[in-house]
Amino acid sequence: MERGATVFVGTHLSRTFGQVAAVRDVSCRITATDRIAVTGASGSGKSTLLQLIAGIDDPSGGRAAWPALDGHPRRRPGRIGIVFQSPALLPTLDVHENVALSVLLAGQSAGQARRAASEALRLLHLDDLADRLPHELSGGQAQRVAVARAVATNPDLVVADEPTAALDSATAAHLLDVLLSTVDRLGAALVLATHDSTVAGRMDIRWPMADGTIPTAKASS
Amino acid sequence: MMIWLTGLLRRRTGRILGTAAGIAAAVALLATVGSFLSTARASMTARAVAPVQVDWQVHLNAGADPRAVLATTRAEPGVAVALPVGYAKVPALSTQDGTTVSTTGAAVVVGLPPDYRTVFPGQIRDLGGTGNGVLLAQQTAANLRARPGSVVTVTRPGLPAAQVTVDGIVDLPHADTMLALDPAATAPPDNVLLLPATTFTTLFDPLRADRPDLLADQIHVRTDRRLPADPGTAYTVSTGAAHHLDATLAGAGQSTDNLAAALDAARSDAAYATALFLFLASPGAALAGLLTATVVAAAADRRRKEQALLRARGATARQLLSIAAVEATVSGIIGAALGAAAAAALGSLVFGDSGTAAWSAAAAAAGLVIAAGTVLLPAGRSLRTQTVAAGRTGAARPRLPLVLRLGVDGIALVGAFLVLRATTATGYQLVVAPEGAPRIAVDHWAFTGPALLWIGAALLTWRLVEAGLRFGRRPLTTLLRPVAGPLAGTVAATLQRRRRPIATAATLIACAIAFAVSTAAFTATYQQQAEVDARLTNGADVTVTATPGDLTGGLADAIHATPGVRHVETIQHRFAYVGADLQDLYAVRPATITGGAHLADAWFTGGTAETLMHRLEQQPDGILVSAETVTDFQLQPGDQLILRITDPRTGNPTPVTFHFLGVVNEFPTAPTDSFLVANQHYIAGKVGDGPSTHLIDAGGHDPATVAAALRAAIGPGPAITDITASRTVIGSSLTAVDLDGLTRIELGFALLLAVASAGLVLALGLTERRRTFTITTALGARVRHLAGFVAGEALVITVPALVIGAGTGVGLAQVLIVILKGTFDPPPDRMALPWTYLIVLGAAMVAAVAVTVTGVLAQTRKPRLALLRDV
Ligand SMILES: Nc1ncnc2c1ncn2[C@@H]1O[C@H](COP(=O)(O)OP(=O)(O)OP(=O)(O)O)[C@@H](O)[C@H]1O
Ligand SMILES: [Mg+2]
Repeated sequence: MERGATVFVGTHLSRTFGQVAAVRDVSCRITATDRIAVTGASGSGKSTLLQLIAGIDDPSGGRAAWPALDGHPRRRPGRIGIVFQSPALLPTLDVHENVALSVLLAGQSAGQARRAASEALRLLHLDDLADRLPHELSGGQAQRVAVARAVATNPDLVVADEPTAALDSATAAHLLDVLLSTVDRLGAALVLATHDSTVAGRMDIRWPMADGTIPTAKASS
Repeated sequence: MMIWLTGLLRRRTGRILGTAAGIAAAVALLATVGSFLSTARASMTARAVAPVQVDWQVHLNAGADPRAVLATTRAEPGVAVALPVGYAKVPALSTQDGTTVSTTGAAVVVGLPPDYRTVFPGQIRDLGGTGNGVLLAQQTAANLRARPGSVVTVTRPGLPAAQVTVDGIVDLPHADTMLALDPAATAPPDNVLLLPATTFTTLFDPLRADRPDLLADQIHVRTDRRLPADPGTAYTVSTGAAHHLDATLAGAGQSTDNLAAALDAARSDAAYATALFLFLASPGAALAGLLTATVVAAAADRRRKEQALLRARGATARQLLSIAAVEATVSGIIGAALGAAAAAALGSLVFGDSGTAAWSAAAAAAGLVIAAGTVLLPAGRSLRTQTVAAGRTGAARPRLPLVLRLGVDGIALVGAFLVLRATTATGYQLVVAPEGAPRIAVDHWAFTGPALLWIGAALLTWRLVEAGLRFGRRPLTTLLRPVAGPLAGTVAATLQRRRRPIATAATLIACAIAFAVSTAAFTATYQQQAEVDARLTNGADVTVTATPGDLTGGLADAIHATPGVRHVETIQHRFAYVGADLQDLYAVRPATITGGAHLADAWFTGGTAETLMHRLEQQPDGILVSAETVTDFQLQPGDQLILRITDPRTGNPTPVTFHFLGVVNEFPTAPTDSFLVANQHYIAGKVGDGPSTHLIDAGGHDPATVAAALRAAIGPGPAITDITASRTVIGSSLTAVDLDGLTRIELGFALLLAVASAGLVLALGLTERRRTFTITTALGARVRHLAGFVAGEALVITVPALVIGAGTGVGLAQVLIVILKGTFDPPPDRMALPWTYLIVLGAAMVAAVAVTVTGVLAQTRKPRLALLRDV
């Protein structure tokens, strides 16, 4: 992707659940190769904002747009890679199949999916685990598989919701290394929610969330 | 504690109601079928005794005083009416027509009191002339070529012959009992003359002094018939009463209990009905129980979490068990109450009887057992295996369940085969009812056959589906391509790892389908046989029997002209001597006989109905005889058989030569003992025409209406019977029991169960995977991708379930037909398959699956983000 291309623009985004306003009037911009840390207390709306950015949830107010992806990501699956707060692997698929599934859903053929999955697993040094089932993995391994799944489609944007929250610091650091090097190689933007200041410290930009809003940052670079 | 409990139960309302619904279904089925059974038994008793005219016949011993015995009998409790009947054996009866004299062999003359026909209206049937005065039995009239107005000479040993003028010709439907001169008599006499008591006394009192051996006195009794509803108990009561009378008479007389004889047959039918109940209702109830267990098991995960939570808060194992016990009791009681109420409503709607308290109680007890088994048992088990982690490994690499590793399916099927082979062996009888024995025995071993077949088939379904999914991933991928597209491989992988719940679901649905198919096929066959039975008795839709002596062809033309008559087939009823044995001879037109009468293949041995009729057509002097006759005369095909047939033109028995062609066991209107079937044209050429019976095909019109039209068209002489009437009078045979109501309930229930199991099992399996679908959607899956997963699973479950279930159902029906062959008379040629029902069943299954699949898809369309948040 072109350097400096705008991957996401949110204008006055809000998302309410009944009485609760999880995200309130957030305007933001993400460009290619941005490394953004979304921080904030529990319940401040990080996950909700990330879901809006990833396009898996629709804002109650405001507008979300993905200029560089020309269109809504739900219509163009695979352009955004998602790492959920929990690994969220499909229990009935082995590691390779889990990774290949996202490629298949992006519209690739079965053969392409197989190759892309093998490639992603190799990059994350997960080759040995390829035919394990999710319940046969450790938490860190599972989260690495989730990262592999997120990057296997060569996305332009990777959205990761506290990918290291359940891991010890060494494993967390390793996972972050892998994630950063992968998005570097892909030239993709990365938005990552975290409580952890060391993790946040390795990012270029920090969006501190409080009560559903980002008081300072409006846009990046 | 109580508040805590009620609060807990309130939160479980959905689950409790779900369990209760399953239990209610089982209870309703058991109670409905049970009360049908008691209604059926009562109607069997009623049907068995209805055709009986003379309940008891008291045979007076020599030297007994008829008046004293009559008085004693009338004073006996339970006796409604007692009438004296006199019998006299005479060497011959004769008539003279111009110069021709016709003479019979030995005959019996019966003296009847004036009100005899009022008290026993079914004993004597008018065929011609007036019904009062001097009456001549049909066959005797034919032998004597007598008609009303003819003068019959009665030979009296030691006295001059007496002459009486015939007033009417009659048929004696109950000749075997009415004319039995002593309790041990087997065959009724061939020639019978009925006289009014006064005439009888005038003619035969003079004989009393010299030849008392030629006279006999009987008392014919009609009881008040206050009998218990169950045929078995009624039999015991009636026998007891008759024995009491014998004891009271103290040797002056001895009674024959015709009522008990009729009930004797009915009580074995009642035993068959009970067996039928067990075969048809218990798999359904078991299935409802299994379905309930499945619903409960779907909540197992939540139950485990809940239990862990309560334990963490300090609840003891005993407290947790008592909560489960309360839950089981509440769902059991609600279910049993709902089920019993539904059964009562259904019963009064369909049978006009809301059922017996005993049956409702038994069914409700079964409901409580199901509740305990489905709720309490798993709760206890999950308490013992308290590891939450164990519960999370839902889609591991499942092992084959222990029963399959032990090969229980194979063992059960082999066992079923062995039991069935023993039960299909010749001479096997499910119900052993030695005539006159106080108790009847039901062979309970027979039940193990179907039970093993059920178990074996269910486990084999499991094994097949499991093996298919385990080893058939490649072909499955290919098969799934049309529904899942590029995701076919992924879907196949998922299905392979989910093979355990899928196999369970497929097995449950297959059992539900097998239940529906077997019930439908069995009841359809049963109804087909009831129809055949009625047809056999009546011969055709409508039967017109000409008066003896009416040999004109005018009747056939009149019948033909009656509206509603599509085809008339005339058979002639003759009598022929085979050696010394007088048998009924049916003279038929083999080329056209099938147009009016429906001949079943099972009625013939050594060929189908069609081939034997064709052979008869090819060989004019061919003859079909009964199996006993073949044995008695050592007949080989092609053997010559000479019969003596009375020529109505001369009245002389004329020898006619036939050639033995084949064996006939049953024939429309024919008696159950030996008879003959031969070519009408051939016989008429040798000995003239005989009295005709016209078998009428009503061509789909209501037989009763056509019969009424015929009655109007041809007048009162010929006897007209229609099949609807005979359906209601056929003995007490179980096939005569109207299964309509039961069938409707059974089939409705089976349909409901099949649809519910398909919908519920699929829905449960798919909602269990809501999280999976949400993740997949969040990853970018479209509806068509999810449809691949959902439809793939639905197909993999329902297609094998339909195929195996239908196969098993047909097999089970076949087994039931074999085991219950005692209920069929005659046995069925082939199983009847109720296609309409089966098509409705298939369509309902497809609809249930489609609704479930679209429902689940609609739910997953919008990802439930909340589901992404929990670990
Ligand atoms: N699906 C939902 N339904 C109702 N309320 C929700 C839903 N999702 C989020 N919320 C509410 O919105 C608010 C923000 O939630 P969100 O998950 O975005 O917080 P978070 O910053 O990610 O917290 P954490 O650090 O604990 O993950 C919370 O108050 C939460 O209760
Ligand atoms: Mg969060």
